[in-house]
Amino acid sequence: MNSFIAFIMGPMVWISAIIFLGGLLFKFIGIIQSVRSKEPYVFSYLTVKHSLRSIGAWLIPFFPKSTRLSPVYYGISYVFHIFLFVIPLFLASHIVLFNEAFQISWPALNDGVADWLSLAVIAALVFFAIRRQMVPEVKYLTSGSDYLLIFLVALPFITGYLAYHQWFAYRWMVVAHVLSGELMLIMIPFSRFSHMLTAPLTRAYMGSEFGNVRHARDW
Amino acid sequence: MRKSFITGIALVLVLAAGWTAFSGQDSQYLERLDNWAFESPRRPGAVFSHDDHIMDLDDDCSICHHVYEDGKLVPGESSEDYYCSDCHGLKPAPDNSMPLEAAYHKLCRDCHFDEGQGPVLCGECHIKE
Amino acid sequence: MQSQDNTMTDPSNETKQAEKAKQKATDPAIEAGLERLTPERIKKTINQVLEKETGPRFKAYVETCMRCGLCAEACSYFLSNDRDPRFMPAAKVKNTIWEMLVKKGEVSRDFLREAVRISHLECNVCKRCAMYCPFGIDIAYMMLLVRRICHKLEITPQYIQDTVNSHSVTLNQMWVKDDEWIDTLQWQEEDAREEFEDLQIPLDKMGADIMYSVIAPEPKFQAGLIYQTAAMMHAAGIDWTMPSTPGWDNSNMAMYTGDNEISGRIAKAFFETAAKLRVKRIVMGECGHAFRSVYDMGNRWNSWVMPPFEVVHALAFYHELLTEGRITIAEKYKKKVTLHDPCNVSRGRGLHDKAREVVNMVCEDFVDMVPNREHNFCCGAGGGVINCGPPYKGERMVNNRNKAEQLAATGAEVLIAPCHNCHSGLEDIIQHYDLKMEIKFLGDLMYETMEKKIYKPGA
Repeated sequence: MNSFIAFIMGPMVWISAIIFLGGLLFKFIGIIQSVRSKEPYVFSYLTVKHSLRSIGAWLIPFFPKSTRLSPVYYGISYVFHIFLFVIPLFLASHIVLFNEAFQISWPALNDGVADWLSLAVIAALVFFAIRRQMVPEVKYLTSGSDYLLIFLVALPFITGYLAYHQWFAYRWMVVAHVLSGELMLIMIPFSRFSHMLTAPLTRAYMGSEFGNVRHARDW
Repeated sequence: MRKSFITGIALVLVLAAGWTAFSGQDSQYLERLDNWAFESPRRPGAVFSHDDHIMDLDDDCSICHHVYEDGKLVPGESSEDYYCSDCHGLKPAPDNSMPLEAAYHKLCRDCHFDEGQGPVLCGECHIKE
Repeated sequence: MQSQDNTMTDPSNETKQAEKAKQKATDPAIEAGLERLTPERIKKTINQVLEKETGPRFKAYVETCMRCGLCAEACSYFLSNDRDPRFMPAAKVKNTIWEMLVKKGEVSRDFLREAVRISHLECNVCKRCAMYCPFGIDIAYMMLLVRRICHKLEITPQYIQDTVNSHSVTLNQMWVKDDEWIDTLQWQEEDAREEFEDLQIPLDKMGADIMYSVIAPEPKFQAGLIYQTAAMMHAAGIDWTMPSTPGWDNSNMAMYTGDNEISGRIAKAFFETAAKLRVKRIVMGECGHAFRSVYDMGNRWNSWVMPPFEVVHALAFYHELLTEGRITIAEKYKKKVTLHDPCNVSRGRGLHDKAREVVNMVCEDFVDMVPNREHNFCCGAGGGVINCGPPYKGERMVNNRNKAEQLAATGAEVLIAPCHNCHSGLEDIIQHYDLKMEIKFLGDLMYETMEKKIYKPGA
């Protein structure tokens, strides 16, 4: 058992990190090459200034009109995405492991705070799932894969939460936590999670078309 | 497909809970390490059985109570008359390459990994009080 | 509106009737086209377009959409149809090109009949939804891809296909004959000379500062607009010309049917005409889609990143005439006016602020509609929708309810619509919903209020 744990907390972390980062990098290179060969016009219109203008405008909470029309969903979504990165990156337990592996350390979140934030993430995911059922236009678009994505994100947070509290099956909970976290990382380049890479790109292109050609705002 | 996936996960969790419940191998000599040397510990002191370790290590105290000089292990020398924190400072520094927390973690966990037995996960030693 | 209930009821009533109208509106071109199709041809054509005519952009859109539904709020069709999910932008994609992609082109005739309807009649390609999608996914682009597929399968609606046929034969949209065009200009010149002695509509004047161009409906049945422009050009002392040869029409319906080859030919002929006349820049009448064609799309098909000539839409030109003092306003227009921002010059070129400045210089009482500028609701007619013709007018009116509500809420007496498509569509809306509004081009008001001075060279 210890050797299995050693594997999933050792080499497997490397494997999933490499698949995650390498996959995204590979995808990015693929997109750029494909744009070069099939749609080079994209580069004719893309400007750094207008790309950043558009991405920036959409990062300011409730600045784009669209976000003001659905404030609850947008607000939860916004906070969810921040927590999604902040919790794992600033969790004391993760930093300890990182520190022991690379002798690099950074300030950690208070465990109690992280605990509540994790609950908030889980609650947000529950909200997303319910919204998919309750809002007719969202329901119309929803398919099984949308719930699967929600579940894949929820799993590391749920198992992490339960493991932290050591209520039951601690060892298995940590194993599930590590594996589901790795699964999520591995899935990013191969699923719609890859919007973490492609959304800034599509936004940049639309922002450039609007800013550079259309002289209009796209938020 | 989604349903069977969820069911599968649930099944694994239930089995795991059962397995853990009936596989208790708690030693009767368990004690909790005193963590007074840490300024503001995030976790309770580790749970540990000194007696079991003495038996398992054939009375060779120096395996844990080691002595390092100029970064090299001194064979045969042991240090059971000292506190760990006498050598291992809290903060990493040029003359303190192995801070106290990392020293504990590595000493225990690495050995448990090498031996293929003993707790290796955070909560297996830092059991909630 | 006085009534507290701001929802507009369709006076001729209602959804059921519209459903009936929908069933009746079988389009002979679509039906005959579908009859000719074989499963092999459908599959081959769809895959050809998806594989050879799209690339990473389409792929990224498909992979990036998280089905969040935020685009719904952007779409007039969705809002006009009691938030029926089928009308939301992402649903239109789901029910057309996603399905084609998933089934690898193996779709039925019934599916294609629906795809024609969705892409040609339930989307104005106004790109409002691109502003409401957090990822900036361009759904209009995908709807145009669907139209491209329909074009290649020869199932484009009859009326709009006829305008493309006209483009193909005559290089203008309305089968205007070469002599008919020149006659119409001369007739307008003659009429205008009764008001302004020595006024000229100079044809083929080499090296003029400005080539003025219009869309074919102007000579066909709105020749007065050419008169008004000639009056403004004269009063302002502009060195201008109009081409006497094909290439004078800047409209481009082929751009909206996915007939990119003809669309490109039209834009090319247009720019070549300007090049032949060696003009400095091109000014065009109050048309939105024509502007999109020569400012944004036609140039790209012909491999120009930006148009080879400076292309000035009427709104910007009026602004220039007024701010440079070339035209002065004798007496401001009194009635309460509101302004409709056409997608292709507002969201398409950011002319909304200049338009407001012009309106305020010309009119005393201006009230904005809400939402406005880039966020204005689409007229419901543009993007080729109105050009699909009378058989679809009934359902178009149902789909425009949201626009009618927006117009009514302004309480304005006069609606300014500086775009031909918008103008025609909004006129239908005003009539259908009994809005008690007049509709005008901005040029109508410019002409009505301006100092009608007679230009004397050197004076």
